[in-house]
Amino acid sequence: MLFLAMRSVRKRPGRFLATLLSAFLGAVIIMTFGSLHDTAAAPGVDEVSAESMTLSASVVGGYGSLLVFFAIASTLTVAVRQRAEEIRLLRCTGATPAQITRMVVGEAAVVALAGAALAVGPAVLGGRLLLGLFRDSGQVAATVAPAFGAMALGSGFGVALLASVGAAFLAVRRATRAAAGARGPARRRGRTWAGCAALVAGTGGVLTTYAVDPADEMLMAFPAYGAILLSVGFAVLAPALLGRILELLRGPLDALGGAGGYLSTRHLRRRGAELAGVLMPMIIFTGMATATLYIQGVESDWVTRSGLDRTVEDKNLETLNLVVVGIIVVFSCIMLVNSLYAATSYRRREFGQQRLAGATPGQVLGVVGREAVVLTLTGLVLGTAAGMAGIIPFTMVRTDQVLPDQGPGTWLAVMTVAAVATLGTSLGTARRALSTPAIDAVTVAA
Amino acid sequence: MFERKRKPGSRAAEALRLVSVSKVYGTGDGAVTALDGVTLSLPTGSFTAVMGPSGSGKSTLLQCAAGLDRPDRGQVVVDGEEMSGGGEAALTRFRRERIGFVFQQYNLLPTLTVEENTALPLRLAGRRADRENIRAVLTRVGLGERLGHLPDQLSGGQRQRVAIARALVTRPGVIFADEPTGALDTRSAREVLGLLKETVRLHGSTVVLVTHDPVAASYADSVLFLADGRLAGHLSAPTAEAVAERMTHLGGRVAGRHADNGPLMEV
Repeated sequence: MLFLAMRSVRKRPGRFLATLLSAFLGAVIIMTFGSLHDTAAAPGVDEVSAESMTLSASVVGGYGSLLVFFAIASTLTVAVRQRAEEIRLLRCTGATPAQITRMVVGEAAVVALAGAALAVGPAVLGGRLLLGLFRDSGQVAATVAPAFGAMALGSGFGVALLASVGAAFLAVRRATRAAAGARGPARRRGRTWAGCAALVAGTGGVLTTYAVDPADEMLMAFPAYGAILLSVGFAVLAPALLGRILELLRGPLDALGGAGGYLSTRHLRRRGAELAGVLMPMIIFTGMATATLYIQGVESDWVTRSGLDRTVEDKNLETLNLVVVGIIVVFSCIMLVNSLYAATSYRRREFGQQRLAGATPGQVLGVVGREAVVLTLTGLVLGTAAGMAGIIPFTMVRTDQVLPDQGPGTWLAVMTVAAVATLGTSLGTARRALSTPAIDAVTVAA
Repeated sequence: MFERKRKPGSRAAEALRLVSVSKVYGTGDGAVTALDGVTLSLPTGSFTAVMGPSGSGKSTLLQCAAGLDRPDRGQVVVDGEEMSGGGEAALTRFRRERIGFVFQQYNLLPTLTVEENTALPLRLAGRRADRENIRAVLTRVGLGERLGHLPDQLSGGQRQRVAIARALVTRPGVIFADEPTGALDTRSAREVLGLLKETVRLHGSTVVLVTHDPVAASYADSVLFLADGRLAGHLSAPTAEAVAERMTHLGGRVAGRHADNGPLMEV
């Protein structure tokens, strides 16, 4: 079966592009921060330099890894789900579920390894740049030399492989079971449990913030972890909730939305699992970006006010921290675009079917646009909730306020980026999918 | 219960007319002539099968006649209205007013129930989806009890019957059926073909059936044969045996086929 895995990766490189991209970018980020650990551990590095690097590597690198883990996992889940037809064919040709699982998991491993291997070069470079920023800001002594070793490689390959293989295994198991005719409540219950577990863990992370010493430099890690886990929990539970809301609003929505609204509400209601795959990066992006940007803002103000930065220039430190957080935010935005592109281009056949039933290209775009709007609104509301859940405890512990001083500007910017990315990617991809004649689009290209 | 909303007189006597329709795929040395000046006319209320060996141009003929593809040359007239240029949106509007489709792969939307799938063409056209009428059509195809089912809860034969109901509900001038029984077992295939025949007999629909199966073709009133992109004869009141025999000789009839390809063929 490994032969089949290698063959399908080699013959259809395009299909693995989305997963390769997420494994690659994820590994670059993890290895970049991991290399700070390696640099800090090198002999002859003074204690202050080592400490500032280790702190950044464990706080931002830590929640960054968690984020990368879920990003890779959600891309993989979307990718495996799209291969239902191929899995069905293999099953008909006589492949046992175990063989199919080995093939899909084997491919995921190959792609993750390739992504991580490609990431080594850029990560070495990224590590140097990051160290340069640390040196410029005076956080690290100018004599410290960059290192790239076991920590960087281990964490990069480890997280990429674990996320890919784990998600592929779960997704293919679900797919083979569905192909064998099992369906229904058992799966949904599993999802609900996983979602609730993520919410509980996230709430725990957020609440831990209160238990930590207000002056602890690691304080920021807890609300960040909490916000990510809450985002994941929301994303897993949201489709069912959304389905129920749409069910209640069915009458008015049908009356208002015309044929396009009719198709959108039904698609959103009956495609919960697919939705979760897009909602995950969506909510993670809005939640993460809001939480980390505000937390970083509060942190910078606190450092300035408390005068702890007596050895370095304020301005440089703030820039460094924003760069570090910015990397994570940009990564989650790219992941959002990546998953939306993969999910929308997969719907080419469905668009063809709508057109054969009499939908004009404009009507199909209308359906996609409406769905993107509903997704965006859901993502914005839940992402804001997850972000606030991280911001409020941190602000309360670090300062005496409940809400940060920064004002809604950053939040508005994040939401605008999310809305533009979602609508732009969905409509742009759908437009391209519509350029194929409808009759060709419905013939399955396995 | 299935009377048209248009006045009876408004239906053209000729459901489909092709005049010198040609289609070439590719350019230069790799160019393949899929249709080579096909001219034909089908009266309203007829049930015609189009047959030919693979590569004979059956699918291209269907796609050009049904407005899914544009012919390079020639004229297509459906229900008295000429299919003109214009964009994809204009072509879509033309199709949904005049043409119904039944495909081998059903092409039902997986997220819509049986009832919603059937009503979809009306909704997309902005017409009123009369619940009673939709239920009546579904009852007629034998699915009155399964209105709330999703397509993946149905058998292949049942899905194809939903597709037929969906094609009927807009009361199109022509229904094109492209290998509608290709994915079905013998019994479901017989039911689907019987249903198509019934819509012609009892309700005056016009059906064009593209198939390679002589048994399926024998349900039609007449069969048009196609070889190398040209018409290669026709057969009235076909039996499966006669069709099969004609198909066997189609390869050897290349020399004589020009004689059959007259300017306008009444069938």
